[in-house]
Amino acid sequence: MKAKKFLYSQKTAPYIFALPFILSFIIFWIYPLISAFVMSFQDIGAISVKFVGFKNYGKLLKDTVFHTAILNSFEYMLFTCLLLIPFPMLYAVLMDGNLVKAKGLWKALLYLPALTSVVISGTLFRLMFSEYRTGQMNVLMVMLGLPAIKWLKSKVTSEIALLMLCCWRWTGVNTLYFMSGLKAIDKSLYESAEIDGASGWQRFKFITIPLIKPTTIYVLTISVYAGLSMFLESFMLWAGNSSPKNIGLTIVGYLYKRGIEKDDMGYACCVGVVLLIIALIINFIQLALNGTFKKEDR
Amino acid sequence: MKKKLISAVLCGVMAASMLAGCGDIETASEPASDSSDSAAVADDAASAASGDSADADAAGSASSEAAPTAVTTAGDPNGTHMEMWSFVEAHNNFYAKMLDQWNKENPDRTLEITFTTYPYGDMHQKLLMSLQTGEGAPDLCDVEMGQVPNIYEGLDTWLYPLDDAMAPYKADMLASRLDAYKGSDGKQYGAPFHVGATVMYWNMAELEKYGITKDDVDAVTTWDDYTALGKKYVAARGEDGKFFTSVDTGGTDWMWLAMAEYGEDWTGGFDGTANVQLDSVKKMLTMQQGWLKDKVAEVSPDGHVDLEAGYQNILDHNIVSFPKALWYMSRFINYMPEEKGNWYITKCPVFEAGQKCSVGIGGTGTVVTQQSKDAKLAADFLCFAKMSPEGEQSIWNDLGFDVCNTSLWTDDKFAHDKTNQYNAFFQDYPYDVLASIKDQIGTVMTVKISPTINEQMCTTTLNEVLEDGTSVDDALKEAQDAVELEE
Amino acid sequence: MSEKNSPEMKKGMRVKHGIGSFFATLWFALISAVIIFPVFSGFLASFRPGRELIRRGLSINLDFKTMSLYNYKYLFTPNADSAKYWMWFKNSMVLTLVSVILTLLICYFIAYGLTMYEFPLKNFLFFLVIATMMVPFEILLLPLYKEMTQLKLMDTLAGVILPGLCGASTIFFFHQYMLSLPKELLDAGRIDGANEYYISVRIMMPIVKPAFSAMAILCAMGAWNNMLWPLMIFRSASKFTLTIGLNTLLTPYGNNYDVLIAGSMLAILPIFVVFLLFQRYIIDGMTAGAVKG
Repeated sequence: MKAKKFLYSQKTAPYIFALPFILSFIIFWIYPLISAFVMSFQDIGAISVKFVGFKNYGKLLKDTVFHTAILNSFEYMLFTCLLLIPFPMLYAVLMDGNLVKAKGLWKALLYLPALTSVVISGTLFRLMFSEYRTGQMNVLMVMLGLPAIKWLKSKVTSEIALLMLCCWRWTGVNTLYFMSGLKAIDKSLYESAEIDGASGWQRFKFITIPLIKPTTIYVLTISVYAGLSMFLESFMLWAGNSSPKNIGLTIVGYLYKRGIEKDDMGYACCVGVVLLIIALIINFIQLALNGTFKKEDR
Repeated sequence: MKKKLISAVLCGVMAASMLAGCGDIETASEPASDSSDSAAVADDAASAASGDSADADAAGSASSEAAPTAVTTAGDPNGTHMEMWSFVEAHNNFYAKMLDQWNKENPDRTLEITFTTYPYGDMHQKLLMSLQTGEGAPDLCDVEMGQVPNIYEGLDTWLYPLDDAMAPYKADMLASRLDAYKGSDGKQYGAPFHVGATVMYWNMAELEKYGITKDDVDAVTTWDDYTALGKKYVAARGEDGKFFTSVDTGGTDWMWLAMAEYGEDWTGGFDGTANVQLDSVKKMLTMQQGWLKDKVAEVSPDGHVDLEAGYQNILDHNIVSFPKALWYMSRFINYMPEEKGNWYITKCPVFEAGQKCSVGIGGTGTVVTQQSKDAKLAADFLCFAKMSPEGEQSIWNDLGFDVCNTSLWTDDKFAHDKTNQYNAFFQDYPYDVLASIKDQIGTVMTVKISPTINEQMCTTTLNEVLEDGTSVDDALKEAQDAVELEE
Repeated sequence: MSEKNSPEMKKGMRVKHGIGSFFATLWFALISAVIIFPVFSGFLASFRPGRELIRRGLSINLDFKTMSLYNYKYLFTPNADSAKYWMWFKNSMVLTLVSVILTLLICYFIAYGLTMYEFPLKNFLFFLVIATMMVPFEILLLPLYKEMTQLKLMDTLAGVILPGLCGASTIFFFHQYMLSLPKELLDAGRIDGANEYYISVRIMMPIVKPAFSAMAILCAMGAWNNMLWPLMIFRSASKFTLTIGLNTLLTPYGNNYDVLIAGSMLAILPIFVVFLLFQRYIIDGMTAGAVKG
């Protein structure tokens, strides 16, 4: 009886709820995380493993290819945040209202790319952006009276291709987040605002934006990390991890290159740890500024 | 309402596709017959493997009856059980076929093997992890040439040397090719499928339209001759977008050929230091820059000829000659069947008379791991499958690889078999070309530094030289610096 | 006020609404067209022999002469390739179904605990959730592989599903979603004498339905497309999923486009059905009434 009371108390309940996470963290995270961290200080050979202190990190500082990768990833993250937050939010609001006709159809279509397997969407985009004249983007360029372009060979055009692939894949998903976020907003707020004569824009600005903030924070947080850790899109677009002059190389791509292609796990873990630290810093600053860790006063 | 709309659209699309299906029955059956050998082989192997092939119902609903045909465990259920991985299904089908022969010939040492086909990159990653952790590696595994340095790193603690098992067949095998699969300790860890000898492919049908004959092509012995012929062709054709050849920014085949001709190796082998500032490489790049300037060559669309855009380029006759390994023949069969009868194969030109004129490129070395229950048995079977005359026959017929057994190259029954689709496809016999260059096939080693060099070349150096026109010396200096940073 | 309700004004607003509606709809039609384009060209390509892809690239010309149902017929007739395809398909379905259901339930309760209560470890646990989201999986691969071997979970469904069960991003999303809900409901429930667990299931869960559907779609997509980890865990080819299987068709020695394209197009269907099923809940969502309880 006492045990039951203990289990059912308001003090114990949160721990019981969180128990699966605590267990999963202990079992599946602590060991791999620590050993990845340890490996970043090691030189891992086939047979022998030796500690090299901060040598890997020192090498990273001088490694110009890694710097290119960081720059590319940051750039990509920035653009994706700019493209994949405001637009999906707007779409979600439009979908939530009664302005747009045939909403179900558009929603389904917006979401279709995310359902397509990466294997095939990567191949499709690679063929679309092929520099050969049958590549559809070049067919389009010729139709517009412009010269064909070697899309995937220069920085700017390949960045465009990459962002298009990314928007294509993720706009629907982010819209979905916002749409479900909007459902948590009490509709009567809009009604009373309308009665008070608030315009559509005012309602959006003073009701929607503040009330959807938790969802926005969520989307921002995952976009920051997803942007920084992008790899698959680039891998698919260039049919591998090598792009001309590393214009498509990302941090995780570099990690992959080191860890898998060159079997230098120590150095790869070092890259991974740096990525983890960067992502954590950016996101915790962002989350703290948004007041996520504040004690709620209610 | 919305749902209705969606279903209406879906129905419309379905209807359109049905119509499309009725459009032309002839094309419908065409791909069935020649959808490459792989599908046909797959059928054979699966039915051979499981005895009964077609329990799967036509509806194809993920039924459990379908499963047995899909899992490929082949061989004698009472034999020693082994596991084998590959990243190409056709390879596994080939091994399954050889397994039946092995069991027939060695009733006291029979085997049962479970074959698994993995995605390419991930298979090597998984193999490497299982070798590192000492747990979960298969008995036998295909290893792609580019991945050899990683997998060989553990030498004989990871892999079982094949020297003994290989001995019975070794005399006839092309030595330079076996060397490519040796570890840094000199032991043989991988068994090769093919030589991958680089040869020159010529579109004779197209060349003849512009007055260039087989004799002209046969007369080409040096790169100067080749350049002159190219200029002649381009001038005779005088059409924008039509070139003699294409140079690669995404592959190093041309560079390998140049190195083999001069007997150089930018990796420096197992003991030496890497040096990309080689005369051979400089000469090749300088020559290619000249071709681009004179419009004799273009830069291969999407980087090299072994990609979709590359095949299109060949099909559109935008280029009429290029050097590539003999295994490229299967690309013609699979992707460019309408080119049948048009193409002619010769040896590659050289910079200076008397040089070697070919280099072995690519390849799959198959390894036996030390984790195998019976590594000796695995090795014996492997060498039988990949090196015995029966095996070589099947490698040539089913996989289309230029086999390493040199005695077969001049064997009339083997080399001039008109029923072989590769022999039938080209204007001359591939093995005649191969036999004529037997002693002229060079080797560039694949060692620890190779991925670094390869990557530096394909991402930066070749793009700078061929796309941006950077001076060869500057680009190679930069590459050398980058490579040295890694050593 | 009186002006606002005048008939002319209403009519004017209706016209304005009509124009707005037209342009908004047009806009969605446009971006949908752009978005559908690659899928559509893939769809068309699936009716052509794989070789056509090489010959002409992606072509959206409706050239019926080169199109046929051959690739699909091939997938639906008994042969080695189709047998494998449907086996992968089934495996993917099972994996996706099991992992989605378990992940959603577990993550919901974790998030519920982290959102609805104030307790000492709250911020620390939340920090851990966010932190695990930021770890690049590739560096965990080798140690996790070792651990799974030791736990004897290799080649098992559990080995694939368990490490990802407490999906940080799913927990985080539920957390954020519940933040915007009023907590008065809990107190109302407690006053009625309901215990904590009853409240979380019977009172809160129905309100969080839109988040459940969004996450169901997302998790299904993740599980369906996940490749690296299942590949490391599974050893038997009979357990391979569709994503792994389709990837084996892409090799350095040439791609089997016949099966690849048609197979990939067909693979969209089940996930699309999941989407259609769940998005209804997003549309229905929570009504104002539900909150007021």
